[in-house]
Amino acid sequence: MPHWLPFPPLLATVVLVALGILKPSLRPTLWRLLAVAAPLALCFGAFLGLRWAPPDREMGDVQRIMYVHVPAVWMTLLALTLNFGCSITYLMKGGWGADALGEASAAVGVFFGTVGVFLGAVWGRPTWGVYWTWDPRLTTAAIALVVYTGYLALRRFVDDPDRRAVWSAVVGIVAFADIPIIWYSVRWWRSLHQVQSTPKTVDPEMTLSLRWNSAAFLLFLVAFLWRRYRLAMAERQAELAPPPAPALEVSR
Amino acid sequence: MMLANLASGALAAVGSGRIQGGWGYVWTCYFVTWSALLLYSLSLWRRGSRKDRVSKESR
Repeated sequence: MPHWLPFPPLLATVVLVALGILKPSLRPTLWRLLAVAAPLALCFGAFLGLRWAPPDREMGDVQRIMYVHVPAVWMTLLALTLNFGCSITYLMKGGWGADALGEASAAVGVFFGTVGVFLGAVWGRPTWGVYWTWDPRLTTAAIALVVYTGYLALRRFVDDPDRRAVWSAVVGIVAFADIPIIWYSVRWWRSLHQVQSTPKTVDPEMTLSLRWNSAAFLLFLVAFLWRRYRLAMAERQAELAPPPAPALEVSR
Repeated sequence: MMLANLASGALAAVGSGRIQGGWGYVWTCYFVTWSALLLYSLSLWRRGSRKDRVSKESR
């Protein structure tokens, strides 16, 4: 199979996002395209991960979990980095778009993070002998999940939209401090979790399967972010809309 | 020569992975991933269409 195979879906995702931003009239068509492309890409990714990719020399077939675990974690890191960008943008420039995208990215990030941590725990059982251990990578990932769940809870507790946007932007910036720690934890500390692999250290067929599955997950990430952003914007508009005028009583 | 034989023997032993089997874990992970993606898609789609319906009714 050609090794450039994952690049067309990655390029298509970038073009899709750019077109969605630049040409709002195309958004319904792009949305339908995304709704068809993402499941198809995931199905082909499952074929690559379950059948086509070779088993690992050490872990055997159990290593096939990597093709769903790693993309899920990468999408978490992407979404939470986007949340950081939105938080800074809101504090510097304001705008309900940045606030809504911040909420959307945190919610989608927590979703992918929960999936990623769960898959990691299942993978840990046959390879480490335990579902969970307080290893630096696992601990920092769990902290991120708790903190961003708190971020989403904070958004539910504060009624005033302005105050909520400022507070959650501050929490978004502080919470992001954990994201580079998650990434580098396997290098900084002696960790049970393996260090990130590179294309130079693994079989090219594994790299291709991982890249394809990441592209499929990226399509889902874009679809979820888009849908969740629209929901958040609709909530903001409903909150900021002027209250309906009271019905006038006819004086007799 | 003996060392080479030992090394090739060791490599043959790990050729198909030291962990044998484990397909149950693999299928669990793929099933959980697909289910989670499907359920979250459905949840977002339902919440979106409910919001659209409410905003159309309020107009």
